[in-house]
This record gives sequence, structure tokens and C-alpha cells, in this order.
Amino acid sequence: MLPEFYQFHHPTKVIYGEGLANDFSHELEALGVKNYYLVSDQVLNDLGLIQQIREGLEEAGFTITGEFYDVPQDASVEAVECISHQAKDSGAEGLMAVGGGSVIDAAKAANFVFSEGGDLIADYSGAATLSRPLKPFVVIPTTAGTGSENTLVAVIYDAANKTKLVFSDRFLLPDLAVLDPLMTQSLPPGLTASTGMDALTHAVESYVGVDTSPHSEALAVAAIKYIFKYLVRATQKADDLEARGRMLIAANMAGSSFSHSMVGCVHAMAHAVGGLTRVPHGVANAILLPHGMEYNFEVCKEKFAELAPVMGVDATGMSVDEAARGAIAAVRRLGRHLNALNAMAVRLKDAGVPEERLPAIAEAATEDGAIVYNPREVLAEEILVHLKNAY
Amino acid sequence: MSVFESREIFKEVIVGFFNLLGDTPQVADKLKASKMVIRFIYSDPDLAVVVDCSGDAVDVRPDDLDTKAIVEMSMKADIAHKFWFGKVNLTMALTRRQMVAKGPVPKILKLLPAIKPSYAMYPKYLDENGYSKYNIH
Repeated sequence: MLPEFYQFHHPTKVIYGEGLANDFSHELEALGVKNYYLVSDQVLNDLGLIQQIREGLEEAGFTITGEFYDVPQDASVEAVECISHQAKDSGAEGLMAVGGGSVIDAAKAANFVFSEGGDLIADYSGAATLSRPLKPFVVIPTTAGTGSENTLVAVIYDAANKTKLVFSDRFLLPDLAVLDPLMTQSLPPGLTASTGMDALTHAVESYVGVDTSPHSEALAVAAIKYIFKYLVRATQKADDLEARGRMLIAANMAGSSFSHSMVGCVHAMAHAVGGLTRVPHGVANAILLPHGMEYNFEVCKEKFAELAPVMGVDATGMSVDEAARGAIAAVRRLGRHLNALNAMAVRLKDAGVPEERLPAIAEAATEDGAIVYNPREVLAEEILVHLKNAY
Repeated sequence: MSVFESREIFKEVIVGFFNLLGDTPQVADKLKASKMVIRFIYSDPDLAVVVDCSGDAVDVRPDDLDTKAIVEMSMKADIAHKFWFGKVNLTMALTRRQMVAKGPVPKILKLLPAIKPSYAMYPKYLDENGYSKYNIH
């Protein structure tokens, strides 16, 4: 059945190619500004990746006016404010983020105050608070998971109030996303696996969520297909550029899919696990995805059955129930395969979650905004059963 | 042309309805449990209403621009009217900028199941209080 209404709004220009991160000046010219403030990660800088980007930009007549390398694991309000003010003081006209989800989200949120002034939380926390475009924002992702280079959301940790703030606005979407598989080559197996499973969770949840649409479904299906084919390869062999490239594209497509259709109970649980026990987001999603699918089984089995062949299951002659079970089994197999490569935990226990925190995690999951998009009501006592299964 | 011909009429209708919700335990108990303080900022006609759920009762205060709200929801009065009939998908309205939310949006989204009964109450309320011409049949 078609939704009563949906929209697909994708203004981010996406370019893909090996080595593009060192030469995307042609696309930058179109954004009309020359001076960029760069936000990245110290590890990437130490690996020499930033130097290559800087040289490429300077050769083409662009200037990096300043650099910030201190974004914590969960992008913080302090880091965002620091980026906004330093970028402004440096004379930058645009922002450039080179990194994973936290780096991208920090720079994305910094663009509010950098472009418009004001107070980050009081003026911009919420949805659709902007009425005009922000300054140019360019992203080079270095993980294949978050898809944040393609989403209208930034999540920022407010340590003072121990809460995660959500900023959602179409003007937050980056102007340009540069997908270069060479930028993900240095990603270790553990991060490759967990971020890839994060992308899979985006795709599966947006495919079955209440706000799904034909456009977001198409992107989710393509992403799932790539992830099942290339995630293990990318995890096993860092320099398999075909696999690295396909995973970058998959994460990007999954990002666009969930930017339009959002996520559900797996993310609600993962946010709670992350908030209460500091388990990284990708790891929590990776562990919880099959359990969230079990939770939604009765209301989603037709859609899970549709995904079974996409996940490599030969569903010929299977009933809807059997094919849907096959899809969940395929997700479990993928997790176990990655676990066998010592790349990822498949149990909350092995990720360091204390068992006694499970009831609190279940309660916190029901407080999460993602539950609104889940195809069935999220109840703490029922979620707890699945969290215990994941333990 | 907007549904409500004047600020006074809209204020009567919406404040009366919020008070009804505040007096309906099925809805009010969940609102009070949320401890939310929401300022609705309407345009065309212009009106601000604070719905304060932080105390023992749901307190509805029109024209309150001083209270520090946890969330501010801005929209046209016509969109608000349609919303209370259950004819506006909140998440879509936010995406389409028919509504603007400042503050912790997940907390507002979480209230949606709690206010579901109000969609059936609104048309009945209009009919029973002399506002039937605004009803959507």
C-alpha cells in the first residue's frame, strides 16, 4: 500500500571515486567559497590523510583557515560550540568534515551557530528551526556506517544534562559528500564490522518503519544487498577497495533511506545501551538488530520475507513466515561470521553490558524518539525479554 | 482564507479544548506524567498558549510569553485545527515545515500515543460547544 503522503528531498551532491578526497576542487568551485574550516580526527591526521586533502585543496586555490581534532566519541555541545567559534574567528566561509559519525555530526551542528549566530541549544535544538540555507558544508566520510553525510539529523551529547540532543532540519544536509574508498582503508576490522552493521540496521529499520516510502525502500534494498555481499570482505581485507567502495556507497544509501523514513526499536534499544553503558552505537545496533527484528516479527513478516532474497536467502517455495525467519537467520549468520573474525561481539554480555542494567535499558528504550517510527508499540516489559535474549 | 475568522474565536476554541483535555484523566494523567511545559505559537490568527503539565493539574495559560517552555511548537492555526482531528501526521508536518519544534522533539513524539483519544474528542467538543461550523465531516 502506498503511503498517504511522502517526500524525497535529496540536495546533497554525492561523488564517488578512488583518490577523490585529494582532488574534488571542481565540485568545491560550484559552492562558491574558497575558505574552509576543517573538522577531523587526530588519528586521521596522524595517518597523513588530512595532509593529502590539505595539499589537494591548496593546489586548487582553496584555503584551510583552521583545524579541529578534538571531537569526543559522542559529539559534545562543547566541541560543537568550539568549532562554531573557531571557524568564525578563522575567517572561514564554509565547513569541511573528514571523519566518522561524531566528527560529521559535530561539524553539522556547528554550522548552525557558525552561519546564523545565536545559541546552539536554545535556538536550534529541535526540528525545522531554520528558514534559510546554512554556509557550505562538505563531508568526506572515513567510516562506512553512519551515513551522516547524507542525513538531515545531528545528534549531540549534552553532558550538563546527561542527554542526547537531536537537531533535525533539511538545511543541515551537507552540500557535497565525497566518497573515497581510500579514506576507509585504515579502518580496523572491529570498526569496519560494527559500522557496517550500523548501516544494515539503518536500512532494515527504515524499510519496515511506519514512515517508509518507495524511494527509501529502494535505497534500503540496494544497501542491504551490498552489505551482505561486501561487509565480510571489507572486514577481512582492509585494502579490498571494491568491498570498501561498495560499503561506503551502501552506508550512504542507507543514510539517505533512514533520513527520510527514520529508524525504530533497534535504535531505541541501542541508544539506551549506549547512554547507560557507553557501548559504541554501531556495536549495540549490530548485536540488537536480529532481536529487534524478532520483536517486530508479527507485524513485519511480509517485509522481512521480501528482504530474505536480498540477504542471499533462497526463499523459493518458502511461506512468508519461513522467508521472514530466513531473513532474521541471515542477519544472525552475518553477525556470527564477523564475530568469528574477532571483529564484533554478538552478545551484550561480551560488549561489557552489566546484566543488572537490562531493566533500566528497557525503560530508557521506551523513552527514545525512535519508537514513534517503529511498526509496533514498544513496551518495556516485552523489550526486556529481547534484551535478555541478546545477553 | 483561514478557518478561524478572529483571534478571539480561535482562542476560545483551542483553550477550551486544552482545558477539556486537562480534565480528561485518560489523557491528562499521561500529560502530567510527562512533566512537559509546551508553548504553542500559532499564526493566522496569532496566539500563544502554554500547556503546563509540570504540576498536579494540566494548566492552560493563553498569552503566556514569559514561562520558560521545554518545547515550543509553532504552526498555523489551521494546521493545529487539522491536527486535533487526527488529520496531520506530526512527523511529516515537521519534515514539511508545517510545524516547527524547538527543544527535545523525542519527548513530544512520545506524547503522541497519549493524546490519541483527543482526536475523537475534538469534533465532539466542537459540536457540543457551539462551534460545529468548524467541524470537518
